Amino acid sequence: MSGLIPFKTVKAACFAASILGGLCVSAPAFAAGTLAGTDIENIATASYDTPSGTIEIDSNRVVIKVDELLDVTITNSDPGDVNSSPGATTNVQRFLVTNSGNGEEAFRLTPDLNVAGDDFDPTLQNLVLDTDGNGLYDPGVDTIYSAGSNDPVLQPDQSITVFVISSTPATPADGDRAEVSLTAAAVTGTGTPGTTFAGAGDGGGDAVVGTTGADATDSGFLAIQAAILSLIKSAAVADPFGGSRAVPGSTITYTLVATVTGSGALTNVVISDPIPTDTQYVASSITLDSASLTDAADADQGNFNGSQISAAVGNISAGETKTVTFKVVIQ
Amino acid sequence: MKKAVFTIFAPFIAILPVSAAHAASQVQLSSDVFVERIKQKSDGTLTKILEEPKLVTPGDNLVFVVNFKNAGEKPAEKFVVTNPLPRAVAFNGTSDGLETVSVDGGKSWGFLPNLRIQGDDGKSRPALMADVTHIRWNLNQPLPAGSGGKLIFRGIVR
Repeated sequence: MSGLIPFKTVKAACFAASILGGLCVSAPAFAAGTLAGTDIENIATASYDTPSGTIEIDSNRVVIKVDELLDVTITNSDPGDVNSSPGATTNVQRFLVTNSGNGEEAFRLTPDLNVAGDDFDPTLQNLVLDTDGNGLYDPGVDTIYSAGSNDPVLQPDQSITVFVISSTPATPADGDRAEVSLTAAAVTGTGTPGTTFAGAGDGGGDAVVGTTGADATDSGFLAIQAAILSLIKSAAVADPFGGSRAVPGSTITYTLVATVTGSGALTNVVISDPIPTDTQYVASSITLDSASLTDAADADQGNFNGSQISAAVGNISAGETKTVTFKVVIQ
Repeated sequence: MKKAVFTIFAPFIAILPVSAAHAASQVQLSSDVFVERIKQKSDGTLTKILEEPKLVTPGDNLVFVVNFKNAGEKPAEKFVVTNPLPRAVAFNGTSDGLETVSVDGGKSWGFLPNLRIQGDDGKSRPALMADVTHIRWNLNQPLPAGSGGKLIFRGIVR
């Protein structure tokens, strides 16, 4: 009778493993490894024959508890520099914090907007947790982070997006960059790999600092895009006699060249010019980049309101040029 | 893991009914687990040591030791030792290489290079050490009275 007990144990062990692991094979699918607090339980069994039958025996049961490994990774998830401009507010930079340990862990977040070696220092407005998990900063929906009060608690392998919201001072010039870093640190503790916090592990074991040191820092950049518009006006005179003298009856063609330098773009640019006194505007003479425009305030960009011409050229990107011409006749 | 657990085993043997168990030919079996650490010696060289598994984290190398001894007076015929692998441990070989293994929860057995398993994609693939669920040593000879030995296998905490 007693010999049956170990036999049942063997079957039960495999049965349990089958339920939990499918084929008695799979381990939990965590990159971080076995969950902290899991018991590793080992029993060896032996069987042998005696004249009165087969006997099966169990060894003692050895149980060791898997301790918590404290690890974290952080990456700036912006595709490149985040564009800003002098005086801008609500610059949004994204960081992804991942619990790469094997236990549930809270992480303390510390931004640094005054990293040395860059061109300017933005001002922190808020650190925001991507509460709804959509990867986008949703003001009023996502939660403002406050160290120590809502440190994000992450399961093993779980990630959270953190937004660093900042404002740009008025001083930086086009092309200036600012480095912004964010550090995430395990609340249980950090230190050199191998540092142990007795009894502090998730699941009742100890907590051990893993290879990441249980804290991680990454940084991203803000880049200033300042576009500058320059406007150059020139005039060409054609007199009625085929020359270029400015006499009554001569036609003056004015050329306005708008050039945007720097970087970025200017939006809703309108180029306008009053008609000089003692001249008369030549109807329908406005052109934009050699294309004729009508004088009426309508769908096309040109307009003559009786005293000035204007061309609503819209957006001009840095490096682009827009040329507007119009003609007047000297009275 | 406490050594005390090991000693508990002796009374368990004692309660086997004499009529069925032939107390004179009882085999004792004990299991031990150690964790392998690499330490730097004072001369700067690295050495591997086995420690009590007080602190175990994923990736640690474990060494399992199964001690057996025939404490009776008659040989134990067809002596077989089986060790189901803890689920959180990936098999990492034995010291003797004489084991057969199972990758299907103990239903079928064989030498690992000969075994196949259904992969995640549903196709059959050669079984790997990480697939092993059970390890078995079949001594193929009687275990004489008074003799014993130890079987050692290694595993990695998943």
